[in-house]
Amino acid sequence: MRIKILRRQSSDTKPYWQEFNIDKNNELSIAGVLEQLNSRDELRDIEGKSTARIEWECSCLQGMCGACAMVINKRPALACEVFLRDIKTDTITLEPLSKFPVIRDLVVDRSIIEDNLRKAHVYIEEFKGNNPKVYDQMYSVGKCLKCGLCLEVCPNYKSGEKFFGTAFAHESFLVASRSKTREEKIRKSYVKHFETGCSKSLSCSVVCPMNIKTIASIGRMNKGK
Amino acid sequence: MKKVLIIGSGISGLSAATYCAAKGIEVTLVSPYSPERAQSVMASGGINGVLSPCESGDSIESHIEDTLEVGCFIAGKEAVKGLCENASDIIRWLERLGTVFSVDSDNNIRRRAFGGQSHNRTCYAGTSTGKQIVTALVMEVRRYEMAGLITRRNGLDFYKALIRDGICYGAVLYNEIEDDFELIQADFVIVASGGQNALFGKTTGSILNDGYVAGKLFMQGVELKNLEFIQYHPTTIDTTNKHMLVSEAVRGEGGRLYYTDNGNRVYFMEDKYGAKGNLMPRDVVSRCIEETGRDVYLDITFLGKKEILRRIPEVYDLCMKYKGVDISKESIKVEPSVHFFMGGIAVNNKHETSVHNLYAIGECASIYHGANRLGSNSLLAAVYSGKVAGESIRSVSVKEHNIDFSDELNNAKKEIEAINSAKGTHTISRIRDELATVMKDDLGIIRNGKALQRGIDKISEYQSCVDKLDISNNDRVYDGYSLKAILALAKATLICAESRKESRGAHYRSDYADTDDKCKASTIISYNGGKYSTYLDLEKEFEK
Repeated sequence: MRIKILRRQSSDTKPYWQEFNIDKNNELSIAGVLEQLNSRDELRDIEGKSTARIEWECSCLQGMCGACAMVINKRPALACEVFLRDIKTDTITLEPLSKFPVIRDLVVDRSIIEDNLRKAHVYIEEFKGNNPKVYDQMYSVGKCLKCGLCLEVCPNYKSGEKFFGTAFAHESFLVASRSKTREEKIRKSYVKHFETGCSKSLSCSVVCPMNIKTIASIGRMNKGK
Repeated sequence: MKKVLIIGSGISGLSAATYCAAKGIEVTLVSPYSPERAQSVMASGGINGVLSPCESGDSIESHIEDTLEVGCFIAGKEAVKGLCENASDIIRWLERLGTVFSVDSDNNIRRRAFGGQSHNRTCYAGTSTGKQIVTALVMEVRRYEMAGLITRRNGLDFYKALIRDGICYGAVLYNEIEDDFELIQADFVIVASGGQNALFGKTTGSILNDGYVAGKLFMQGVELKNLEFIQYHPTTIDTTNKHMLVSEAVRGEGGRLYYTDNGNRVYFMEDKYGAKGNLMPRDVVSRCIEETGRDVYLDITFLGKKEILRRIPEVYDLCMKYKGVDISKESIKVEPSVHFFMGGIAVNNKHETSVHNLYAIGECASIYHGANRLGSNSLLAAVYSGKVAGESIRSVSVKEHNIDFSDELNNAKKEIEAINSAKGTHTISRIRDELATVMKDDLGIIRNGKALQRGIDKISEYQSCVDKLDISNNDRVYDGYSLKAILALAKATLICAESRKESRGAHYRSDYADTDDKCKASTIISYNGGKYSTYLDLEKEFEK
């Protein structure tokens, strides 16, 4: 079995494809494959050329941290949650998320997600108490990994300059539901940076590893108008 | 305005940042990755606190007693008292910041039972308490960032602390994006770098927590403490990448541990401890599993699929996703795995280390847990330690200095050049793999002096070739420079375990199976020019 990785030494160099032979082990996830490749004494590609370790992000290795988001066989996913047993192709392709600047190989700079939350002042400031009616959705959005998969798949999200995307919508909902002082301001930001740009394809919910329902956040934000 | 540099952005680092900023202290919060990647997000159980209204009979005193008892009476008494007394305020504070705790119909935060606790006092946020707290703390840090009090920077790896004459002035950091070193000076440094999972290869925690920061500080003269106390979680599933925790809830729901002998099931925990044997404390269950010397299975099939999906759906999904095992139809093979480190950087009640102006908090620091940790005290300690460090820094005055540290950057670059130009035969990945094997085999759940000495000798061998590595430009800079300190920390851990000639809490020695009152104190270990020295802190120097 082969794995083909879109590599890049730095943001100012050209990307290139490099292929590696791997053992087909159905229990392995893509994260496991990358770990095994990097733990070889010397990493060689299919032509036998010695090459640098593959740079990618990982931490929990069990779908709880969002570090290993990438494009696997053209589909955005967490590398630790895609298993060889589910792959039907002889060659697997791995690419970095395309909506973010590449730092090296599969590592991208996702700081725009937090930058936008900062710009919109997404924080509680003064707590207004619990609202049991929206507990389930609050709990759900509290689990957002900020992995960027929702932005990768979104037809409306480009560079994050104007339309901030789903991660912003979710956290805006959390603030609107829990803040006494920021509800109104956050709703205005939400309209400007999400509502006017979202075409409701809802592909974000399909790829979300935490299964967070965008429509529920949208519905609650609209109800509060 | 005072300046503080915080290394690490998990729950303890985020807490310290917010406490410091709230007191008008300027914070730079650095980390290799964003807080969402921190191991804190994996803490699922909850956070302890005696909140009003509490369970009948519960009290702060009871929480203190439980913590000290589980810690086998070597945790810092005053520190534990402060921890438990502040728990209620901390949990209310976290709720105000936005933590979505589970609440009952009267809007009270729900409490659950947890191992080792005499009352139900574990507050929780569904099954993702750590993650929900991180989300809330990040929002609060964001607020202070916008107020200009916190600067958050990702992509920075710790390289070394700036220490002169026993005083810390900042740190040298490696910028992964720029591929260069940089120097950040500050009046105070708070280390919040987590535990040292990666010494052991596969554990239940994050692979980013490799102990390098503690190891490097140790080599720079900072004392460490109680490294021998390592908590194993008895029931994890072994996957190709890591050990994944199978929650205690399975045994709480009646799950039974067994091995097979000539085709017959032997329910060894029940045989030894009676009907509730499967629910014995983590260290006891782990030891019993180890003693069987066989494959051990956990059976919950009798509950039926419907009830399993209702009561423990996460466990069902985990086993199905990572092992392809339907736990409603078959038993799941389980084994103990390294889970939490009670030991770490030695700190006093104010979270000061043995170096002035250098603080340590969270799992990398050692003071609250003694020889074993009370379940769900770790999240509490992470937040509380950040608060204590912030308060301490607030009360310490800063002295002006004009020390020039510019040589530190050149020295760092020279060290990297030296590592890269060495012509050796040992690869980093091979040494790290062998290290993990040594730590698992010679510093396991059941230890003895012979195996511990063997482990120390093996690490000495690795240390002798660490300056002669086979490094090419194919290895990450961080992997090259971190190895030496990681080995030093590993060796220190084995030496601590060898020096404690008794069994206490999570430290069990087959050659010294009894607890010895003469050893009722913390182990302190220091490093000086390659020499490791230990002593028992009988005078309680680190409890002041």
